[in-house]
Amino acid sequence: MRLDVDEYAHLDSPLHSWEPRCKLVSLFILAFALSFVQDLRLLPAMLGVAFVVYVASGLPFSFLTTRLRYPGLFLLVPAVLLPFVSGSTVLLSIGPLALRQEGCLAALLIVTRFVSILTITLVLFGSAPFLTTIKAMLALGLPPILADMTLLAYRYIFQIGGDLERMETAMGLRGFRARRPNAHTLGVLASLSGSLLVRSYEQSERVYNAMALRGYGRSQRSFGGAHKVRSRDAIMSAGFLLVAAGFVGAEIFLRGTGG
Amino acid sequence: MHIPDGILPATVCVAGYATSGAATWYSLRKINQKENPREGIPKASLLTAAFFVASWIHIPIPPTSVHLVLNGLLGVVLGYYAFPAILIGLFFQAVMFQHGGLTTLGVNATIIGVPALLAHYIFRLRSLVGNDSRVATGVFGFLAGASGLGLAALAAMILLITTVPVVVDVEAERASIYALALAHVPLMILEGIFTALVVLFLQRVRPALLEA
Repeated sequence: MRLDVDEYAHLDSPLHSWEPRCKLVSLFILAFALSFVQDLRLLPAMLGVAFVVYVASGLPFSFLTTRLRYPGLFLLVPAVLLPFVSGSTVLLSIGPLALRQEGCLAALLIVTRFVSILTITLVLFGSAPFLTTIKAMLALGLPPILADMTLLAYRYIFQIGGDLERMETAMGLRGFRARRPNAHTLGVLASLSGSLLVRSYEQSERVYNAMALRGYGRSQRSFGGAHKVRSRDAIMSAGFLLVAAGFVGAEIFLRGTGG
Repeated sequence: MHIPDGILPATVCVAGYATSGAATWYSLRKINQKENPREGIPKASLLTAAFFVASWIHIPIPPTSVHLVLNGLLGVVLGYYAFPAILIGLFFQAVMFQHGGLTTLGVNATIIGVPALLAHYIFRLRSLVGNDSRVATGVFGFLAGASGLGLAALAAMILLITTVPVVVDVEAERASIYALALAHVPLMILEGIFTALVVLFLQRVRPALLEA
């Protein structure tokens, strides 16, 4: 499982060169607009927009399929269950099971919304270095405490992940195998988790002292100004916001007409 | 427990961001009341990363294995930093693993984070018995861990069953909530035992970590 969602951030595409704050706001609003859609007639347009945005980003399709696989497993349960438990119009009876029309349509809506929103999210975070995206959030008004915690946690996740890997290897070499959830296994795994917390806590004290020595907390930093909003960025944002407004407007219109 | 994108209607997603915004505001207000609020940030950040990594540890339940949510333990160790920590952890999970989602981040943070704050308050009750008592630490650790997961699972199930566009009658809806709640009881007990074991380990090795 790859952690680095920004492995293709170096590519050159209109989505990659879009000013990060404009991109963050526009794609976030578009994702929300897609989650607003309930009318099945809008599903092809949703998939179409997600497809066009993905192609324009230049990200390889293997990136999308790899990233869809893991969350797709979680979605499999409602997607398989809904057609059999929801609705009253039976399409097909297989023994005691009945395939229902309303459930099939609900599953189709959920899966299409999921794929479209996830594709937009992948373009958002896959087309810029992760730190650039976080800095854009800071510039957009993320509280300083949250900002500091996000950056520091991101900095140490990989190191602590490496610590866990080494500790598990050491446990394996000493003969530990987690096979059954008995008292011994739970005790060893609890000690492993506790050791991770203690090591991180001890390291945090050293990190805080080093940061305090470098003046941490004495001045407010500014993350703005690193990127300038060009007219091209504004036009792209306006275009995406129009598309988002189009989905919301079409959904409200279709609900209003009752069709 | 992590509700993916696309399942919930937009109004619920927006309401989730509103409630998680309120919970974050409440937590940050409590943190800023401390003498030096910045002093706790490196500790909370590294522990956020450590919790994120610790949630990768799988408990074997043949023929499969489960990973723990650890939100009760997070509340116990991080106190008011627990909600921001969960928000950040879920954000990383949504971005790095596509586990959860960006539009459902607020809903997921509320479902998992608010019970973590409650677990923090439950664990603080051990001071009524005495912070040095290992029995009290174990019992309140168990209660914090079990209630953290139990409340989160209950909130997630009620939200899913009442908002997913299904056409089922009220009786069937109620029955499915009861059935799913019962199915989570063994997981609650497991999470409670694991949390109790970790807090007992921390009390022995680094009691300062339990003074959030």
